[in-house]
Amino acid sequence: MIGKRRAYLRQYAAIALFALAYLALGFAVRDAYYQLIMVQVLVWAVMGLGWNVLSGYSGMISFGHAAFFGLGAYTVTIAFVKFGITPWLGIPLGVVVGVIAGVLIGIPTFRLRGHYFALAMLAYPLAMLYVFEWMGYQEVSLPMKRENPVAYMQFADQRTYMVIAMLLAVACMVISMHVERSRFGRSLLAIKQNLPAAEAAGIDAARWRMYAMMLSAGMAAAAGGFYAVILLVVTPQTVFGALTSAQALIVALFGGVGVFWGPIIGSTILIPLAETLHAKLGDILPGIQGVVYGVAIIVIILVAPDGIYWKVRDRIMARRAPPAGAPRAAARPIAPATPIAWDTAASRSFGAPLLELQNVSRAFGGLRAVDEVTLSVPEGMIYGIIGPNGAGKTTLFNVLNGFLAANQGAMRLAGQEIGGLKPHEVCARGVGRTFQVVRSFPRMTVLENVVIGAFVGAKTDDEAERLAHAALARVGMTGGQVHMLAGGLTTKQLRLMELARALAPRPKLLLLDETLAGLGHDELEGILPIIRQVNREGVTIVIIEHTMHAMVKLADHFCVLDHGRLIASGKPADVVKNPAVIEAYLGKKWMDRAQDQVA
Amino acid sequence: MTTRRTIIKQGALGAATLATSTAMPWRMLRAQAKPVKIAVIAPLSGPWARQGTLIKWGAETAANEINAGGGIKAMGGAKIELVLIDAGDSAEKAKNAAQRLIAQEPDVVAGMGAWLSTFTLAITEVTERAQLPWITLSYADSITDRGFKYVFQSSMPAGKQSVETLPTVLNLAKAATGKLPQSVGVIGDNTASPTAFLKPMREGGLQKAGLKVLFDETYTPPLSDATPLIQKVRSGRPEFLLWVSTTISDLKLGLEKMNEFRLAKGVVPVISNGAHLGMPEVLKNLPADLIEGLMYSVANHQVKGQDRINDAYGKHSGEPWITQDGLAGYGHTWIFKEALEKAGVADRVKLNEEIHKLDLTSGPAADSFPGGVKFDAAGRRTNAIVCIVQWQNGKPLTVYPTDRAMAAPKWPKTS
Repeated sequence: MIGKRRAYLRQYAAIALFALAYLALGFAVRDAYYQLIMVQVLVWAVMGLGWNVLSGYSGMISFGHAAFFGLGAYTVTIAFVKFGITPWLGIPLGVVVGVIAGVLIGIPTFRLRGHYFALAMLAYPLAMLYVFEWMGYQEVSLPMKRENPVAYMQFADQRTYMVIAMLLAVACMVISMHVERSRFGRSLLAIKQNLPAAEAAGIDAARWRMYAMMLSAGMAAAAGGFYAVILLVVTPQTVFGALTSAQALIVALFGGVGVFWGPIIGSTILIPLAETLHAKLGDILPGIQGVVYGVAIIVIILVAPDGIYWKVRDRIMARRAPPAGAPRAAARPIAPATPIAWDTAASRSFGAPLLELQNVSRAFGGLRAVDEVTLSVPEGMIYGIIGPNGAGKTTLFNVLNGFLAANQGAMRLAGQEIGGLKPHEVCARGVGRTFQVVRSFPRMTVLENVVIGAFVGAKTDDEAERLAHAALARVGMTGGQVHMLAGGLTTKQLRLMELARALAPRPKLLLLDETLAGLGHDELEGILPIIRQVNREGVTIVIIEHTMHAMVKLADHFCVLDHGRLIASGKPADVVKNPAVIEAYLGKKWMDRAQDQVA
Repeated sequence: MTTRRTIIKQGALGAATLATSTAMPWRMLRAQAKPVKIAVIAPLSGPWARQGTLIKWGAETAANEINAGGGIKAMGGAKIELVLIDAGDSAEKAKNAAQRLIAQEPDVVAGMGAWLSTFTLAITEVTERAQLPWITLSYADSITDRGFKYVFQSSMPAGKQSVETLPTVLNLAKAATGKLPQSVGVIGDNTASPTAFLKPMREGGLQKAGLKVLFDETYTPPLSDATPLIQKVRSGRPEFLLWVSTTISDLKLGLEKMNEFRLAKGVVPVISNGAHLGMPEVLKNLPADLIEGLMYSVANHQVKGQDRINDAYGKHSGEPWITQDGLAGYGHTWIFKEALEKAGVADRVKLNEEIHKLDLTSGPAADSFPGGVKFDAAGRRTNAIVCIVQWQNGKPLTVYPTDRAMAAPKWPKTS
């Protein structure tokens, strides 16, 4: 925690240093023209920061941030021209309008994914452009106040604007930094990297995204409002135009996506570059400035696809990293915390039913993937679900944790109905889950992955981190490997990490979807005791598995699904002898022979 | 070697400089034969580059003329030096251009530009604060509505153009046919300029002129098919059609369709608005026989008495005829020259006063602007007249104001 505070202080110091250096340069420059450009750099940096909060962190790419920029600009302008409200109040008002617009736009648009979201966002400013033209605001200029200009944010000295712009930029940087380093930003990052995993890990994607949209829209609106004050003329084309949205995107992509320094770097380089090219070449070879600017962007994108910040950071990290071949903590073999003895023979007693399903069905068109399944899992049990491929096992899990809605039936967890809940809500009630194919957040470390899972069970970020460390210790991941990037893990490490993520918020019930799939015999022997230990510590487990010999050793109870129907249920030894089960696995033809052998 | 005498001399000079500079800027002292800098901020790149280039050519033509004729006589024959700056394609760039001009060209005494009203509004926010006299051809009323003291508008503002066009056209019709038209059809696209132009007409202007509005259609450019619009013309048969379009291609579709329906070539006269309709390149899109008879109103166009201007401009630019944009560049430069002759010094404030005092009825400046050069306190040209231009035999010819007209208007006789 002390390290964390130090990291914060370091960032604060960096921001302060940047702000002071920038202002010092601005005050040293005598030329009002260069000062104006330096003000514009900050305006576009704020716009880029706004874009970054939504699109950089959560990965929902917006091509339409001009909508908020324009609303901010027009709020300031109309408030000034029609009602005589000073921009000192107009800009905060614009931020409010921007945030409201963010909510109104977010509600319908967040239903869309990927490209569709990006394209829908593109449409909003274009629509607003026409609305403002239709309303007769083609060209509105902010009147010059000859008396008391300061009260109307009108200064003869560009440097005053620069100070205001810098305050705005610093505020947005500090907010962004706190977002980045908190549950807010980590959740957005998790959503960006793997939405289903984030939801299953208890992250309320809709809520965080909406917060991001509101914050993002507010920043863009502030930039727009201040832009109106600088430019003094507002037209729909200048504030709602596609170029305005593009500018936000370009400065952030160029400088670095998903980090608040990105838009600052991008804007500081690109805005003066574009303007200098324009000033130097515009009247000599008209249009050439656009070509040079475009080529510069293309080159940077090719060389540093994630932006300059990341390229430089990767370089520095690579230099700091130990030379190849040196022993690394990460390479240490994984061993369970404590060796566990097999006790399959012991008959165990279980508590009251924890999970109860009654006639649960889910159909895809005519295909009944889960067909009137009724089962009951007592507390403390390892409950195995087996069945041939396509039997509906994973679908049943998806219905259980809220990815899919059941068409009918009731599901109760500790007596409480959980049908109809969203994945993060199911998770919040104490249901963890892993996936058939591991869903990790590849660009986060193992610890960060697990922290994401811990948020739902923790009030503070520090508590989440403590829970994550505890969960990692439970699955035997300690030392240097917790700081490895998830993208570089082996299958077994990934399985353990996912297990730790599910365990982090201390769930009552764990749904394990083929956790053992793809593992070799030795690796299997490493994981089975961990699952067993987790169960002994009080977590009820429902596990889907193909690896029959592992299941027989692990599960207290079997149920068998075939074509979505529950065809058998009972003690493992009994179930494997059940003719219906053998038929389901091997077909009728083989049933008799198999029957003989089992007998 | 420094002698006592030179010290006294230098001291006296210094005192004189000090004394003068408190009263007037120091620039005065160096005015002798030093070139006078005039800024031209115009879009030289981006979508409006063509218009900006025409302004530039006009200004260059005038500057060459003035310099060849001995420069500014009141200033010891000082030559005019144009400072060309690209306004680019956005208000932000235009404003930057103006700020750059003010910061890096302190010797500039006046300027013109930058075609698009939005640009002009942004630029004049900077130039006004720097007390730099600025003349523009931009139409927007707001340019001279802000109480600025250093801004001049040589065009009739858009609001007035709109009000003036209708009676002017009706009078032309009456002069040609002997009676006033009784009915009209209106088509306009929904962009800024046509909407603003048609607004006063739609809000009672047409009815007040005694016209029956048979239909009033608005569309979003570009058109993919003009048939539904022209069907209205065919069934309604207005005595004339008011069609205001920002794109030539839409007008082309419409005129072709009218031709197909045998409504073109003056059967139903078409009245429009905008300088773009008189550009030489219109003929690249529209065959001359199709555009024949089209009438449009515009702030300025080549009129009688401009042969010399037109020739000089044509020689410099290679353009077949001079339009509003070239005339603006040319005329504005001459206005500055006339005012500089009066001021006798390269001083912004003094020059501004002299521009306000101008009342020119002859000479190149007055020739460039029908109605002469005289500005009111707001900076609007008091006697500005809207020009009506008609395409006749493959050329856009001014048919109004009548005394400066290049040709008589042709209005088809309606039964």
